[in-house]
Parts: sequence; C-alpha cells; structure tokens
Amino acid sequence: MKFWLGRTGSILLAFALCAGIQLLADQQSDFVQRLIVLAGLYVTLAVSLNLINGITGQFSMGHAAFYQIGAYTAGFIAMKFYAGAKLPPELWMILSLLTGAAVASLAGLVVGLPSLRLKGDYLAIVTLGFGEIIRIIVQNQPAIGGAYGLSVAPRFEMIWLVWLLAILCIAVCRNLLKTAHGLQFLAVREDEVASSAMGVNVTRTKVTAFLLGSAFAGAAGALLAHFEGFVSPKMFTMDVSFIIVTMVVLGGTGSITGATLAAIGLFFLPEKMRDLPNFPLGNLVATGIGIIIMVVGFRHIAASFHGKIVERVMRYLAILTLAVVVALVLGPIVSKVPTLGVPVEGAKLRMVVFAVTLIVLMLLRPQGIFAHHEFSWDWLRKVLRLDGAKKVPA
Amino acid sequence: MNRSLFSAALLATVLGITAVGCTGGGETGKEKTGDPAPTAPAGGTTAVRPEPTGEGVKAEGDTIKIGIVGSLSGDQKPWGEDSIEGGKMAVEEFNAAGGVDGKKVELLVGDSASKAEQAKSAAEKLISEGVIGIVGEVASGHTIQIAKSAFQKAIPVVAIGATKTTLADEGTNVTRVCYTDDFQGPVMAKFAFDELGLRKVGVMTDNQQPYSQGLSKSFSDTFKKLGGEIVGEAFYESGQTQFNGQITELSAKKPDGLFLSGYFTEVGPIAQQVRQAGMKDVKLLGGDGWDSPQLLVSGGDAIIGSYFCNHYNNREDRPEVKQFLEVWKKAHGGKEPGTTMAALGYDATKLMLDGLKRAASLDSKALIAAINETENFPGVSGKITLKGANGNPKKRALVVEVRSEKDGFQVFQKAYEADEVK
Amino acid sequence: MAGLELSTLPQQLVNGILLGSIYALIALGYTMVYGVLKLINFAHGEVFMIGAYAALFASWGLGYTPNNAMSGSNPINLLIMLLASMTLCGLLGVLIERFAYRPMRNQPRIASLITAIGVSLLLQYGGQLFLPSSPAPNIDAKVNPYQDNITIPLRPVDGTLVTAAKQLEAKQLETKAAFDAYLTRTKESPFQLSVAGQPLKKAAQDAERDLRTAEGKAEASGLSIRLPKGQMIMLVTTVVLMALLNFLVMHTKPGRAMRAASHDFDAASLMGINVNSTITFTFLIGSALAGAGAMMNATFLSGTKIDTFFGMLPGVKAFVAAVLGGIGNIPGAVLGGILMGLAETLVVWAGYDSYRDAIAFIVLIIVLLFKPGGLLGSNKVEKV
Repeated sequence: MKFWLGRTGSILLAFALCAGIQLLADQQSDFVQRLIVLAGLYVTLAVSLNLINGITGQFSMGHAAFYQIGAYTAGFIAMKFYAGAKLPPELWMILSLLTGAAVASLAGLVVGLPSLRLKGDYLAIVTLGFGEIIRIIVQNQPAIGGAYGLSVAPRFEMIWLVWLLAILCIAVCRNLLKTAHGLQFLAVREDEVASSAMGVNVTRTKVTAFLLGSAFAGAAGALLAHFEGFVSPKMFTMDVSFIIVTMVVLGGTGSITGATLAAIGLFFLPEKMRDLPNFPLGNLVATGIGIIIMVVGFRHIAASFHGKIVERVMRYLAILTLAVVVALVLGPIVSKVPTLGVPVEGAKLRMVVFAVTLIVLMLLRPQGIFAHHEFSWDWLRKVLRLDGAKKVPA
Repeated sequence: MNRSLFSAALLATVLGITAVGCTGGGETGKEKTGDPAPTAPAGGTTAVRPEPTGEGVKAEGDTIKIGIVGSLSGDQKPWGEDSIEGGKMAVEEFNAAGGVDGKKVELLVGDSASKAEQAKSAAEKLISEGVIGIVGEVASGHTIQIAKSAFQKAIPVVAIGATKTTLADEGTNVTRVCYTDDFQGPVMAKFAFDELGLRKVGVMTDNQQPYSQGLSKSFSDTFKKLGGEIVGEAFYESGQTQFNGQITELSAKKPDGLFLSGYFTEVGPIAQQVRQAGMKDVKLLGGDGWDSPQLLVSGGDAIIGSYFCNHYNNREDRPEVKQFLEVWKKAHGGKEPGTTMAALGYDATKLMLDGLKRAASLDSKALIAAINETENFPGVSGKITLKGANGNPKKRALVVEVRSEKDGFQVFQKAYEADEVK
Repeated sequence: MAGLELSTLPQQLVNGILLGSIYALIALGYTMVYGVLKLINFAHGEVFMIGAYAALFASWGLGYTPNNAMSGSNPINLLIMLLASMTLCGLLGVLIERFAYRPMRNQPRIASLITAIGVSLLLQYGGQLFLPSSPAPNIDAKVNPYQDNITIPLRPVDGTLVTAAKQLEAKQLETKAAFDAYLTRTKESPFQLSVAGQPLKKAAQDAERDLRTAEGKAEASGLSIRLPKGQMIMLVTTVVLMALLNFLVMHTKPGRAMRAASHDFDAASLMGINVNSTITFTFLIGSALAGAGAMMNATFLSGTKIDTFFGMLPGVKAFVAAVLGGIGNIPGAVLGGILMGLAETLVVWAGYDSYRDAIAFIVLIIVLLFKPGGLLGSNKVEKV
C-alpha cells in the first residue's frame, strides 16, 4: 500500500511541478520562456548522457547527434503529415516525441555497436565523428532544408511537456539503478571483464544504455524542433556535445542529481552573463591573478590541512578574502598601464567566464560537484533527523 | 551474434547512410533551393506573398521603438557595423527633424554575430522589447530568420542588403532596399559575356549561404542563355581556408573566368590560391558579397583587376550620395564608409521612418501598409519604389573594378538599369 | 555528380599529401601527449591557432603589415616566423600542462578532459578579447619569397598544338594594341564604348579568346603536376622535423624517457625517470611541432584567414588522424595525417565537395572497425 501511495504521490507531484512551471512561465516574456524550455531540454540531455557515460562508463561524445536526429525527425513528419493528420496538438506532440525517440534510438543502436569493440578514448572519437557525420549529411539534404535549416510548421509552446520529459528521464534512470538490472550497468562501468565473468551480458547492457540514452535525447530534440519552429545543422555542432559532456562531468559522472543541477547551472551561467558591464582589461588581468591565488590556496588547504571543519572553513574564507582584495586593489593599478586600460565589452566576457569557471571547478573539485552522491528522500530525512535515528556521539 | 557480423552491419549502415546522403534528396521536382516555408509557394518575385496573421504591435510609451539587426562580431562585422551606423544616422536625423506625432524614435540594436541562429534570437529579443519595426539584415540567411519571427507578430522588416530572390515571399511584411540576386546574377553574366568576352566560366559557390547558392544559379542560367558555357561548379563552406582541391578541378576545365558568388571572407583567399594555381589570366567575377575593404587585404594582388556588382558607388555624382558622405565623414573622423552597407542601412532605416510618417497609426500593421506604398524614395543607393513591387524595388546595379587602396578600391565601370537585364 | 576527372588525379594526390603534412604535424602533438599521459589534449588545436597568430605578428614585425609597401622577402624572414611560432607554442604547451593538467594527473581521466575543454574555450574566447579577429587577418603573401611553382611534366605536351597556339599570339597582340590605342586616343571607358570602338573591342576579345583556347588545348594535351614552391618547402620542413623527432625519441636520453613513460608510467618513475620533466618535455616538443604546422599553413597556403576558432577543425581532424594511425604511435600519427589529407582531397576530386569534413570521420570509423587500435596501434582486445 505504501508502495503505491509513494508512486502515485510522486507522479502527481511531477505533474503538479510541471503545471506550476508552465503557469510561472506563462507570465514571463518569450525570451525567458525560451530559457526555461532550453534548460529543461538540457536536463534531459545531460541525464540521458549520464546514463551512457556516467552509469555505464561508455565514453560517448556525440550526444548532439541523437538530439539532432530527434529534432529533424519531428520536423520531417510535421512537414509531411501534420496538415493531413488533423490531430489535436497534445496528441501530435506525443506522437512526435515518440517518433523522434524511436528514430534516435535506432541511431543509438548503430553508435552503440562500436562500443563493444572500442575502449575509452577510441569510442569517444568515434561517437564524436558520428555526430559530425550526421550533421554534415543533414546539411547536404536540400529536401530537409540543407544548410539553412528546416522550418517546423506547428509551433507549440508546451513548456510543461519539456519538463515532464526531464522528470521522466530522471525517474527512469533512478528506478533503473534501483533494480538488479540497473546494477549491471554499474558493474560494466567498473570492470567489464569481471562483470562478464559474473554473468552480466555486457553487450546487451551497453547497447541498452545507448538505446535509452539516445531515445531520450531524440525526444528532447523533437520538443526542441516544435518549440523553436526551426532546426538547422548549426544548432547541433560538436560544441553542443561538449557542453552536455561537461554538464555530466561537472555534476559528477554517474550522479543523476549532479547531472540535473549541473545542466541547469551551466545553462544559465552564460545566459545570465549576457548583460555583463564593460571592464577595463587591467581589471580582468587582476581578477585572473585573484583567481589563481584562490585556486592555489584552496588546493593547498584541501591537500594539507586536516584539522577541524570550522578551522578549515576559516582558512578557505581567508584565502578567498585575500584573492578578492588582491583583485580589487591590483585592478585599478594594472589598468594604468596604457594598453591595459582598454575597456572590454561585457558581452565578450560571457564565454571566457564560462571557460574559467569550468577550469576552476575542475581544479577544485575534479570528481564533480556531487561526485557519486545522489539526492534521495532517505538522505533528506536522515539529514533532517526525521527517521528516528539517535544522534551518534562524535 | 558474433563480432564480425556486427562490424559488417555497422559498416553497411555507415556506408548506407553515406550513400543516401550522396545521392541527394530523392524527391524529384521539389523545390531544392531555399527552405520550405510552410505557406509560401516556391518561386520568384511574382509569387503571392502571405499576409502576416498576427495582431501587430502598437507603439507604446513616449518613444517609438525600432529595431535594427546586424553582425557586431564575426566575419560579417564590417557590414554589421556599417549598416548599424547608417541606421543610427538616419534615426538621429529623423529625431532632429522632430520625429513623428511629437514622438521620437528609439533605435534598439540586435547583434546577429554573423550567425543565422543569433539573428533569430536577436530579432526575438527586439520583438519582446516592443519594437514595431525591424531593419535588417545584410545577409539573406540571417534575414530569413528575422522575417519568420517578425511574420508571427505582423512586424515589418526592411532588409538592408539581403539579395536572395525569394526573400520577400516570406510575407507582405518583408521588403528591402536593395536589388535581388535575380537581377545581380544576370547583370554579371551579361557583363562577363558582352563586356569581357568570356565564354567559359567556372563557378564557385558557398554551400552554406543561401545568398551564394541563389546568385550562382541566376548567373549560370543567364550566362548559358547568352550562349556561354559553365564549365563546372565547385562548392566550399564558409570558414574554409584552403581551396586547392576545388581549384584544381576547375582549372582542369580551362575556364576564362571564375564566378565567385560567396562573401569576401573566402573570395580573398580563393583569389590568391587561384593565381597560385597558375590561372593568371582568368578573370574573377562576383556579387555584392565582395564589398569590403577586407577584400584587398585578404586578396592581395590576386584580386586586383577583378570585377563585381555593387549597389552604388561613393564617387557617384548624385546629391544624396554627396550629402550622405558629408554627414558620415563628419561623424567618423573624415573617413568614408568602408562598404555600401552603410548607405543601405541608412536607406533602409530612413525608409522605415518615412513609412512611420505616412502610416495611418503608430502600429506595426499600419507601418507595413505604409512601407509597401513607398514611391520614389530618394535613397543614397538610388530611387526606391515599393508600391506594386512585391517587396523588391527596381534598383540600378553598378559593376566595379577592384583596384588597390590608393587607386580607389572600387572603380566604377558600368551601370545596369533594372529593365536592361532579363 | 560529374564523372571522375582522371587528369586531375595526380595533382590532387599532391594536394592531399601537402594538406596531410599539416595534419601530421598537429597529430604528432596529440599522439605524443596521449602516449605519455593518456590524455586527449583538447587545447592542442588552440595551440595551433596561437602559432598562426605568432607567425602573423612576426610577419607584422618584419614589416608586412596590412596594406604595406614591401616588395619581396627573403628566407630569413620565414625562419624568424617559424622560430617565433615554435617557441611561443612550445612555451604555451608547457604552461598549459603545468597549470591545467598537472593538478589533474591523479584524477579520473574525464576530469582532465573537461579541463582541457575549458582551456580550449578559454583560449578561443579569451583570444577574442586580445587578438585581432574580426575581420580575420591573414599573413601577407609577399612574405613568402618563393611564390612560383615547380612544374613537373608527366606527359609532354603535343608540339603541334603549342605551335598552333603560338601562331595566334601575333594576332592577339596586334588587336590588343589597336584597341588600347583607340582607348588612349578617345579616353573612353572600355565598357561604355561608342559605336566606333566596338568592333575593335570585339576583335581584340575574339583574338584573345582564340589564343587562350589554343593555349589551353595545348596544355591539356600534356599532364603535369604543379608544386607551389612554398608548399614544397612545407613538405621538406615537415619531413625534416619528423626526422629530428624520430632521432630525438629513438636515440636520446629524454626520448628514451618519453618512450618508457608512455609504456608504463609508474614503472618509469620507479626507475628514476623524472616524469614531470619528461612530460613537460613532451608537451614542449608536441606544441612546437603544432606551431610549425600553423606557421606553414598560414604562410604558404596564401590568404588563409586567422581567427581564434581557426584551430578547432584542424585540431579535431588531426586528432582523428592520430587515432587513425594508432594513438600513442608516432609513425602512426604521420601516416594518419597523410591519409586524412588524401581522403579529404580525393573526396573533392570525386565531386563530393560538401562532404570534405565528414570524410575524416567516415574513414576513421571504417578503419577502426577492422583495426580497433588504429592502423599501427595494438589490437589488444581483452578476452575472458
């Protein structure tokens, strides 16, 4: 009974959450709505890639290919069949989603096959190559728009569906891991030879991971196509694959929670920085120096200080203060140097800040923000001491 | 299942995909160039242009917001900057003369960063900020995106330098102040055949730009009609830096001319590599995509003596040109505008503002109507009439010869009126 | 698609090898770093890009600024540019290793990968702040003193056709002179002629056209390969650098250390090899080679535009080349690079211009299917 209560509750909660997001989004401008939708899509992409990379340990770097296949499938069937089918929008969207997922998972099958023979970095480059091949082939098909893209006729603003898909993806991955089946994925990640010896069908596991991961990415692509009303090969370059991989790693390879939060965070980071003010070059140099101080200091503390937590935090704060002060003080001084007084447009700094953030985060927390931890209701109850456990003496 | 079966299956799949890709889209008789717009039928300028169905945007507040989109970064920066500067000039003049209905115009700038995707987001951002009209863009590929976004909200788009023939078919809200590739291509074909005496021309097309593909086609069609021979067509991509493969293929066909329909960013290196390949006497021809001082820098000596088609020339003896140059030079330290997009940006913006004055009310739908009624507007780039023109004004084309910087860069050679060709 | 033009095949093969030599130089850097650190150095493409800028600035320093008035050049200029690129890139590589990769050495490999991506992005977008990028500059062709081509005839031209063409020369000169005289006399523009001038123009054009057609026919009767002198130098330099590298790796102590470290990292350090300096050395050499490749690419392939994203595509392709040859294998990188260049050029020869970039990956996938370790790599597949 409790099982079903929990399940229904979760499902209702999911729907309520999506409805809430939709209502909230309706209040916002088109621009913000787009951000909310894209964030949701990236969550799906990151979590689905996490299944392949993080959980099954297969180094796939071409996730944008599945995204693209799903998007173009949706665009294609919309172009050919939508007018004739006369279905209500929601139904069409679900159909579109499923078709995109199906075609993308076929591609996932194709890409998954080499994973059986290739290890690690070789697989990475092959998947990367696959992504590029798909992109270039699509680029050369005038029937689906070629290099300038394809208009997708019915534009649907179903923000709730985007987030529903994201939640579904998270749920599927979570539940998968809780089953015995799911543990096979982890086993394959840890040691293929050993798991094979233990009776795990390594081939089937890997292929399944690719199938699932690519299916979700394809579904996300279908949603993208209908939301933007336009798809073009330029939207699915290597950079997109790299960003998704980064989201997975930054969040903590293998952690679904991590992938989700990193996706949202990494997506909004450059967006929020569109309106940075201009800085003189000298200030930027000084900030760079400050960052270096911070990173070096933090790493030193992390590696060599073993005292109490409070003292540790104090030291971190001290270094942080030092770094900030140095940056603020040096800034105006360095800007006095003639060539370094030139102001730099804020807009140009967007990606630079993004890149620096990546590097700093990797240097300070290479295992990813969440490492291998997951959020779970149990954990929350434990932290809030709701599970009735007695406090253990330190 | 054994591994070699897998390998074979994978190989077959990859080769299969490649084969499908190479044999092209399969469907016969379908419109191949341009993107399949949902409602507009394929065709040239006589097609029926759909009316935008949106409700339109009213001008609210003390100022009337007009948007302008251009590339402030990336390869097309020279054009973006010039056209936006031109637009700003037009707005300043308009406001100084009192604006309209006592209201001044506020010009909001969107950056397309030389990418169609960005042009789309820039346009949508401007629309969300309340503009009742958008001026832009220079590149056809970008303008198509802006047009689609503007169509949904019934906002007028006056294109600055987008010459792709089917552009105005996106909707009655789309107009331009420049000529179309349907005109530019034949002009160059006629020039090549009649004036330069060329009979065997090779074409190099930028496969990533709708502009280049359209222009190559209209050039080739006319050149063949005149009796010339197109010996071959090679394709490249924007951003490519070395073209030896394509050049070798074309050079084997022994052309006496090469039509380079792409943008100056690639034309410069192509010219250099063409000369290096031994084709010293082959004449190089192009369209307005060549128009940038950067062409001389990247083309070096190789591009001197080539010809291309442009919208107007700074040396023209017309009062509009002289006045424009005077004001521009004052605002830019005595220098002339580097590209014709400055004047076109100015013309496009000024035309839209002129439409504001004539519009029945200060909202985007009335503005669309007013713009489409424009008659004999005295642009720097020539007289512009949009009434009855389906969005494509009849403009004059000037063929210029490329000379070195100190010799004047673009030296006027021959003018072609709109009715002379076709 | 047009039929395959056999006559251009020899030239295209040459083009392919020349292109491939650049990929080979970059691929060497990837393969060496991977061999020792098992790391895909994503930032290598950006080191290549910086090398191009270094060459550009060196050329500016020597006087070849945009719209300059220099006339001619000398080989010393080229040498200076080459040294500038190689030095700057070498230093940059060492810096990146020291500050971005060394801290990550004991971390899971994927973390280093992300750091590498971060460095790559930093160089690309940070470069946008400092470096001239729009419009993208290019190295002035004049800095290359070797502008002309060496022509190697494979099949001699038909003598009769050549004579026939020569006979038309006189007429062409005569008609041209007549037309030019007319223009000088009347001061008319050749494109806005009065009725009197038009027959003269037609005569001159017809004569020129006939001459060129005849010349073209004559030329087409023979078969020759054209080697731009500059690109020949490029090929020779590449070969020399590879020979030097081979000597370095096979016959010197640091080279031996590199080989040991790539074979077994921990064992090497246990044997007393200073792994840190070995790794630094590896990065130094690999990056310097990329710098050389960049300088030659930007200088001898005239008009090549340089912007901060210039290194991305060659970087990926060179990485594919390294994998193709068997990553970690030095001769493999060279082989892979040449193959990549050939594949790309032959795709254009076959008429599939737009698939130029895809062919790299297609070739890779096909090769890896049959040899999962790359062409010269090991084929170890673990069996249980």
